[in-house]
Formats: sequence, structure tokens, C-alpha cells
Amino acid sequence: MALLTVSKVIKQFGGLTAVNSVDLSVDKGQIVGVIGPNGAGKTTLFNCIAGAFPPTSGSIMFNGHEMAGKKPHEICKLGITRTFQVVKPFASKTVLYNTMVGAFANTNKLSEARTKAIEVLKILDLYDKRDVVSKSLTLPERKRLELARALATEPHLLLLDEVMAGLRPSEVTEMLPVIKKINEVGVSIIIVEHIMQAIMNLSDKVYVINFGKKIAEGDPHDVINNEEVIKAYLGEAYVANQH
Amino acid sequence: MLIGYIESLLNGILMGSIYGLTAVGLTLIFGVMKVVNFAHGSILMVGMFAAYFFVALTGLNPYLALVVVVPLLFVFGYAMQKFIIKPIFVAEKDVREPITVIIVTTGIWYILDNLALMLFGAEFRVAKTSVTGKMLEVFDMYFLWPKIIGAVITLLLGLYLFWFLRHSRMGKAVRATSLDREAATLMGIKQNRIYNIVFGLGCACCGVAACVLVPFYYVYPTVGVPFDIKAFIIVVLGGLGSVPGAILGGILIGIIETLGAQFMAATWTEMLIYVFFLLVLFIKPAGLFGLKQDY
Amino acid sequence: MKLLTEQSKFNKILTLVVVLILLALPLFISNPTVLQILILIIFYAYLTSCWNFVGGFAGVLPLGHSAFVGIGAYVSTSLYLTWGLSPWIGMLAGGVIAALMGILIGLPTLKLRGAYFALATIAFGEAMRVLVENIEHIGPFPVRGPKGLLIDLAGNSFAHFQFTSKVPYYYIILIMLLIVLLITFIMMNSKVGYYLAAGGEEPDAAAALGIKVSKYKLIAMAISCFLTALGGTFYAQMFLYFYPKSILGLDLSYEIAFIALIGGRGTILGPVIGALLLRPVGDLTRIYLSDTLPGLHLIIFGLILVIVMRYQPKGLVLPLSRLLARINNRFTKKSGEEQQEEVCNGAFDSK
Repeated sequence: MALLTVSKVIKQFGGLTAVNSVDLSVDKGQIVGVIGPNGAGKTTLFNCIAGAFPPTSGSIMFNGHEMAGKKPHEICKLGITRTFQVVKPFASKTVLYNTMVGAFANTNKLSEARTKAIEVLKILDLYDKRDVVSKSLTLPERKRLELARALATEPHLLLLDEVMAGLRPSEVTEMLPVIKKINEVGVSIIIVEHIMQAIMNLSDKVYVINFGKKIAEGDPHDVINNEEVIKAYLGEAYVANQH
Repeated sequence: MLIGYIESLLNGILMGSIYGLTAVGLTLIFGVMKVVNFAHGSILMVGMFAAYFFVALTGLNPYLALVVVVPLLFVFGYAMQKFIIKPIFVAEKDVREPITVIIVTTGIWYILDNLALMLFGAEFRVAKTSVTGKMLEVFDMYFLWPKIIGAVITLLLGLYLFWFLRHSRMGKAVRATSLDREAATLMGIKQNRIYNIVFGLGCACCGVAACVLVPFYYVYPTVGVPFDIKAFIIVVLGGLGSVPGAILGGILIGIIETLGAQFMAATWTEMLIYVFFLLVLFIKPAGLFGLKQDY
Repeated sequence: MKLLTEQSKFNKILTLVVVLILLALPLFISNPTVLQILILIIFYAYLTSCWNFVGGFAGVLPLGHSAFVGIGAYVSTSLYLTWGLSPWIGMLAGGVIAALMGILIGLPTLKLRGAYFALATIAFGEAMRVLVENIEHIGPFPVRGPKGLLIDLAGNSFAHFQFTSKVPYYYIILIMLLIVLLITFIMMNSKVGYYLAAGGEEPDAAAALGIKVSKYKLIAMAISCFLTALGGTFYAQMFLYFYPKSILGLDLSYEIAFIALIGGRGTILGPVIGALLLRPVGDLTRIYLSDTLPGLHLIIFGLILVIVMRYQPKGLVLPLSRLLARINNRFTKKSGEEQQEEVCNGAFDSK
């Protein structure tokens, strides 16, 4: 039984169909990548799952619950936490404070939240910066904080919205083991991404979306060699890189 | 009795359009710059005193005061934006809800109103002009001439601004800035200059309203207060940044006020307006003509 | 955020000393006028600290809070005049009604952003004032419109919440203030406080972390309105007379908000510092200068508003706490880095 099953999800904005009957599934412990050209609809799909807006039709089953139409905070309480492409730290608060906000999702006690937060900060290598006010952090550090905060909510499924956006290639390489570590701790992940290096390195399974439809699904290496995908998506740069 | 209602209705439209006139300046400032200027009423008061003294000292037609008062307030607004509001905006760039401007403009309101109190005293003044007290009689209904002239001037100003924003180069620049600041800057529009001009323009509109009010309205230091709140209500009602919205919103408020007074004590009509305003906020915060996304 | 136990020794001792001084003050002051001025300063510190729950922690700008002061005063006084109910109980009744009213008005308005919320609170506050000014009574309870309510002298009676000397009033309001500050401190270091801070700063991120922002804002609103109303009853019992313009209306609403803003909203001591600085300035100018220069105190108030907001928009508590941290470090030897950190973060900040 899959952890998350997205069935025939359609999202329309007025006359525009952004997501056109997409099926997607994530098994426990998997990292699933979602790629596609700009404007393909992957962010819209992401936002439907995350609860930013409800799908026009279709179902999103998670752990036996129907998630379609639920609000973001309800979705988080049920075990799915998302991060933001443009990171949103609580800028005037410290790293520890930020993470504790996440940790409070599962406890009412300050001491427990703090313990959990510290544990998470150690995993993400931010423990030394725990008392730094988050607006003073560098971008990679802020991204790690975003992850820490999300991880502190103890999600079953983590939704990463272009988490590599804005990072330099060296920073991307540094981020990969961090995400792998989160997965090793037991968190399933959906990662929407443009940066192929990340997708190829991390995903167990990849979906390709174009014009709101799923055009390919499967093992990362198979998918990028798919003719449809190459046609739709400028993967040529990466493929050229292989040679 | 029907005549009474019609007279009320028409008076409401007249006074309402003048309310709209006071709101037009505010909707530009609020709409384009997203600045809440709580000193708006005080600026109106400054304009009214200026117009009053113009008439008292020169004895000239109050509508000639427009020539003096409007540029005066434009400069005042321009300066206020440039030297007081902008630095605060800049300081507040990364704050989520820039409410500091609200507080600062309230401070300016306190300063202006009480300065006027200190300088001119609290007494209510009436300008003696050639049109003061003159009435138009139609079918047993009486209308003050100054109000009629005021309504006409409102209409003219409204049309002019509408044309200005739609078709003039500066007007288009203003609209562009209000829609997307960054994109406008990229197009070569100097954001700060636009802001200064818009603020000046908004205050200049107050100047027009001031000259229109002086022939029939009492002039005193806190005269701006009732207009201030009404202006904000009208701006929200009509939709941020919408000139026709401001005028129509004003007329709506004017009608509620006068027709309401037919059925209940005048003090209750105040409450009616507040309740109406709250309902609009809850049901359609974008106002009657506003765009969907605003604050 | 430093817990009570983690506060530096200096801060703990300083707090204790200040509280002791405040408690002992009436022993040294016999002039009732001076005592009254002090009581009013503490009263405003109380009201602004209550306002702080919404205006500081919920991150919005309520400009109609005087409505709740009025509710407190009118409810307890009406109950007293009609049924002889002890104002202490009436105080609680007023608080509950105010909290309910606050939740009712908060439900639709807390969703609004920035200026819209501020305008809505103004409209609500003014509607409240107009309502009260136009009603003679609600059922058997007197309201008396613009004339206001007058409480008969009952001499020195705790049950009637009246005292012949000002000293008991001083202690009552002081204890009320200390309780509110304690509640503020506890709240800041609790899940509610963290969630409010998060929701106020980044509502989308907060929601993604499982926070139902509206629920917490309403909790803050309810607490704030309840406590504010208690202050209304205090005022009524202290002055034995009030009328709509004195206890409702924009002037009071604005004064409460701006004292908190100048002092520093969202911090524990910001509102207190604001009251401490602004009330005396206002009172002194009013007493000595209002004949020759009417309205001067408001001009000064306005100038302070403009200048402080221009240069210290987060409030005066920030530079003051930095100063305090520096004094602190003279008493205790700390490493250069620790000193730097404390100076930057401030000793009494909400962080």
C-alpha cells in the first residue's frame, strides 16, 4: 500500500487546466522526484498536495486519509510537511526558536520541543548556529533551517519545493547528503526540482510532467532517456554532460 | 413627504460627492503607494484654513482660492512624502506589515491639528463669500449653491483624473507603479519621484475639496477628523486606487447619511455608516470597484 | 528565548529590586495627587500590556481597544447599580463579556491585513461609542448615553471596591500589572507564544508547520479583551464616574496603542516603558501648559511619535535594553563574545 496516492487530480484556473488528470504514488521510504519544463504544472500539483489550494477534482489519499481540499495546517498535522521555494524563516527569531516552532506540532511542552529541535539541528548540522538570528544566515544555511523546521514536525512525507533553487553547484552538492540523511531517518520525500543533478542523485522514482500531464514515470535513468522527455524538456545539457 | 425624501436623496448625492472629493486624494495615495495616511483629514484642515484666510484677507471669490491652495497643498504633500514618509518606508522595508507609516501620519495629524488649535484657537469660523447661504429652489426642495458647485467641481476633477491616469504619460507611469513597482522601475520610471508626485497630487485634491467646503462648512482645527474617517471608509468601499470608486463611494455614504437621518437620529446614522463599512470589509474587502489583490 | 531561570543574575536582582521599590513606594508618598499620577501611569502600563497580546504578539494593529475598557466599566457598574452586585464579580463578568465580544469581532477581522484590520477596529470602536452614547438602558441595566454612569460613595469597603485612601487602589493596579506581565512572560515561553510569533511573522510558513494561525490570534484576542475589561472596572471604581468619551472612543484607543508602540510592542516591558515615559510627559504639559498653550501635550506626543517611529520603529525598549546589557556587563565579567551577543539581542527582548 503506497503512502501517498494521487489519483486523477485535475486543477483548473478558470479556463486554464494546469494539472490534467495526474496519477502519482509514493511508497514509504521513497524519494520521488517530479520534474518538467517551466509552466508544466508541477508546482500547481505540488500546491494541491500541500493544501495551498484544493484540486478541482481527483483524490489525494495519504495514510488512509483523503487530503484533497484540506488546509495546510491540517495536512501538516496528518503527517505531510512542505518547504518553500523562497525560504520563509521567522527572520527575527533564532535558529533554535524557528525549529522549536516546528517541534511544537507534536508536543505542548517547551522542554520537549526544545529537545526535539536540538536533535533535529544536530542532524542538519545547524546546532552550532542555534542561537543565531535567522536573518543573519547564509542562503544554504537558511535552506537547511527550512528543512530542520519541517523535520521537527516529524513528518511521514516531506514536500520539497525546488529546495536547490538559488544554490551554487557546490552548495547543491553539499545539500544532497543532507536530504539523503533525512530520508534515512525514515521520512519519505517528494522533491520538485529543476536541477537534474539533484533529481538523478536522490530519486528512487521520477515523474515527468508537461502541459499538466504525466508523460513519463519510472527509474531516473530510464526516464531521462525517454524520447518524450528529451523532446519536452531540455535535458540535453545533462545528457551531454554524461559524455 | 416624498419630496422630503427626494430632497434628502439629492442632498445626500451632493454632499456625498464632496465626501468623494476628499476621498479621491486618499485613494490615490492608498492605492498607488499602499500608504495609510491618517493625516489626510488634517491636510484637508490646513487647506480649509488656507482657503478661509485667502477669502478673509482678499475678499475674493473662494473658488479663486484654488489657484493658491491647490499648489500649496501639492508642495506640502510632496515634501511630506519625501522627507518623512519615504525614510520610514525604507527603514521598514523588511517588516511584514508596515504599520509604522500609520503611526507616523497619526503623529503628524496630532501635530497639525493642535498647532492649528494653538495658532488659531478653537472657535468655529465661517467664511463670508458671495455664495455662502445662497440656495437653489426646485419644486419646494432647497439646495445650497456651494454644495451644487462643489458637486460639479468633484465631477470635473474626477473626469480630469480619470483621463490623466488613463491617457497621460505621467498617469500611466503612476498606474504602472501601483501595479508592479519593480517592473515599473525597470521600465525607467523613477519610483520615488512617482511617490512624491502621487502624494502631492493626493494632497492637492484635498486642496480642491477644502476650497469647495469653505463657502458652506465651518472651519475649525479639528474639522478634518470626521472627514478623515469617512474618507477611509469611502476609499475601502470604492476600492483602493479607483477614482470613480471614491466618488461613487462618497455618494453612497452621503445618501446613507441623509436618508438615514430621515428615519433615525443623526447620531445613529454615524453608527449605520460604521456597520455598513464593517459589512463591506467582511464580505467584499476589495470594495465595489477594487482589484482582487490589494493589501 | 531565555527562561526565567536562565536570566542573568543581574536581571533577576534588578527585577526584584524594582518590584520591591514599587511595593514600598506608597509608604514614602503622602501626597494623594502624586499617588494618583502614579496610579494612572501604572493603569496605562496595565492597559497597554493587555493590548500587547493582540498588538504585539498577534502582529496586528488594533485601534479600537478602548471599546473593551468601556465594556468592563459599563458591565460591572451597571450590575452594581441594578443588583448591588459586588464590582469584583462584575469585573469578571465584564471580562468574560469583553472576551466574547473580542472573539466575535476577531473572527471576521483577524483575517484582514494591515491597514484593513486597523480600520475595522476603528470602525468597531467608534460604533461601540456611538451605540453607548445613544442608549439610555439595556433592559434593566442603566447606560445613560452621553451622561455616563455615576457610582454612589460607599466609603471604605472592599466588597464595594471602594476605598477612601488612594493607597489600596495603587496596590490593586500594581498587582494587576504584575500579573499581566507574568502572564505575558509565561505566554511568550509557551507553545501559544511561539505559534503567535510564527503566525505574525510568516503566516504561510506557520500554516505549513501545522499552526492554525486564526485560532491562536483569537486566543490572544480573548485574553487581551478579558484583561483590558478588568482595567475598565478598576477605572470606574477609582473615579466613581465615567462617560462615553472618557472611557470609549478613539483618543483612548490611540493612546493605548501608541504608548505600546513607542515603548516597543511584542516585548514584555515595552508597553510599561512607554507608559512610564509618555504619561508623565503628557500629564506635566497638560497641568502646566494647557492654559497658555492648549493642545501642546498632543503636539509633543505627535512629535515623539514621528521621531521615535522614524529612528526606532521597534520601540524604545530596544536601545534601553542594550544600555541595560552594557551596565549588566560592568557588574559581571563576561567574555567579549557573550557581551556582544547580549548587547545585540537585548536583555528583555521577546527573542
